[in-house]
Amino acid sequence: MEREQVLKTSSTYTPEVIAAIQERAELGRYMIRGYGAFRNVPRFDDLVFLTTSLTRLPLEGYREKCTTKTLIGTRYAQRPMELDIPITIAGMSFGALSYNAKVALGRAATLLGTSTTTGDGGMLPAEREASSKLVYQCLPSRYGFNPTDLKKADAIEIVVGQGAKPGGGGLLLGQKVNKVVAGMRTLPEGVDQRSPCRHPDWIGPDDLRIKIEELREATDWEIPIYVKMGATRVKDDVKLAVKAGADAIVLDGMEGGTAATQSIFQEHTGIPTLPALVQAVEALQEIGVYGEVQLIISGGIRSGPDVAKALALGADAVSLGTATLIAMGCNKPVYIEDYHKLGTEPYHCHHCHTGMCPVGITTQDAELMQRLPVDEATTYVANYLQSLVMEIQSLARACGKSNVHNLEREDLVALTLEASAMAKLPLAGTDFIMGQS
Amino acid sequence: MHQTIPQQTLIDCTNLTTREINQKLKALASESIPTVKLLNPAGRHNLAVGITQNIAISIEGPVGYYCGGLSENINIEVFGDCGWSVGENFMSGNITIHGNASANAAASAQGGKICVLGHAGARAGISLKGATIIVTGNVGYGSAFMMQQGCMIVCGNAGANLADSIYDGVIFVGGEINSLGADAKLEPMNNADWQLLEQELSILNISAKNYNFKKVICAKQLYHFKAKDWANY
Repeated sequence: MEREQVLKTSSTYTPEVIAAIQERAELGRYMIRGYGAFRNVPRFDDLVFLTTSLTRLPLEGYREKCTTKTLIGTRYAQRPMELDIPITIAGMSFGALSYNAKVALGRAATLLGTSTTTGDGGMLPAEREASSKLVYQCLPSRYGFNPTDLKKADAIEIVVGQGAKPGGGGLLLGQKVNKVVAGMRTLPEGVDQRSPCRHPDWIGPDDLRIKIEELREATDWEIPIYVKMGATRVKDDVKLAVKAGADAIVLDGMEGGTAATQSIFQEHTGIPTLPALVQAVEALQEIGVYGEVQLIISGGIRSGPDVAKALALGADAVSLGTATLIAMGCNKPVYIEDYHKLGTEPYHCHHCHTGMCPVGITTQDAELMQRLPVDEATTYVANYLQSLVMEIQSLARACGKSNVHNLEREDLVALTLEASAMAKLPLAGTDFIMGQS
Repeated sequence: MHQTIPQQTLIDCTNLTTREINQKLKALASESIPTVKLLNPAGRHNLAVGITQNIAISIEGPVGYYCGGLSENINIEVFGDCGWSVGENFMSGNITIHGNASANAAASAQGGKICVLGHAGARAGISLKGATIIVTGNVGYGSAFMMQQGCMIVCGNAGANLADSIYDGVIFVGGEINSLGADAKLEPMNNADWQLLEQELSILNISAKNYNFKKVICAKQLYHFKAKDWANY
């Protein structure tokens, strides 16, 4: 009998490893790419809700009200951020993203009563106009950071690090640094722009305290100040940021995306969003500010269940980056030939750094950008956010809650030992908590 | 409370919070008061921060971090030493320090002029984005790190790694340069450079000709991330 040939694959030298070695052999440097970590990590999928049956009663899934209002920045700011939903849009720069993409994110956020966030390129005037609530990032680069735009902001986010690259900076390749982008960043046109990994004018948490006071003085103590960090030594970092005076903590797990950085950072640095969230909540509780200092969690959040589980574990809100880009068409199976030109396929594209985004999102090329009409992109993102809100409300009602913020740890169990250990939740069907029982 | 005497408004900082001092400065600027004098600053941080209306502020004594930060259209004179990041993200106007400045003087400053009539510490002019910074003494290590635009004039010596990772702009050093950082290079001085120095320094009663100025600019070797660049950094 003729047997079909069975191809053997080495578990050490997988096709991906072979390709990576050969690519480095050709380039003579590490690989740079966009998107986020490819590796599999314990995530919210490894948790499930214990909804209601006899011991608790559900709310009517299609009729009864379930509140989603969210307040961020209640500690010191005279004007806290009032959001209609507990989902915000994360900082993604004009430069990394096209003009159309930034404007669409702003408009979609406005439709849903939530905030969007500037990014490394400063405040794009059209983005300010499109966004009813805009968070202005103070990044290590200080590109486009100025007192005039500061006064137009609804909150300030001091970026210490990013989940995709904690401890590292980004790289906006020259093909994306066109005249407008270069002008906003005070850079020569067409040069590869490095985003620094640390702030120019402060180094440690004691300095950060003074920096936060400076920003408050410049904005008359009106708007909240968030501190955003990539998740590494979460407990210590959260406590220090709180001590420095942060109104809110934005914590970005290793599943977070990026426009461009070393692949090694994405795969080998930071910790996943799930344990980062649990540790951050514990840190806030240990120093007695849980509820006073709000927590926004981000990094690979994609669905209503992800959001609901994050809220149940103690987050006040979540922040979405890559998922909103996917909603507007990232990796969509259209313009197939252009994916092929990049050496990739739809659903596998992570070439944000090249500036040749086939669907017009992560590009500064005018022709490519036309493939992303603002109105259409706005509708897609708004629909996506709306669907997430409906999913969170459905899960909350099924748990018997009339407010999504009433979801609690008791509503969850873990499906795997790893998730049980990281989330400190019982393994489903048992009283066993990995590492604690 | 502030006290107004002919031609001069005084604020004694002794019993005021930083918030109260800055509120008074902003109120006086909005009332078009031309000059104000701050007494007893006592090294306090964040003085004259975020002021965007035209006013001249004289500070009688030492100040802490971020003096004049995130401000525009203002003139500040400090009769004392400064802490970190004086004139951080400054947009326009003048800051003159009759003393020494600590680290990060004029960090990310985008416009205007910041004069240190003494020495400046490490990382002076870090991430400079268009302002002019003049230091009549020495500057510390890592000065002009990641400078993007603007001009730095140092009459004294510069510490190690001057202009590391610079993108653009120009640095003049009248004394010795300990070492240059990645992607910085010396370029011969030309007549226009000497004219610029004479123009900037004569205001301070300094003659550029008394110094052996050297010019540092970007070598542009690291403008594009390439495989064989590693030896440059």
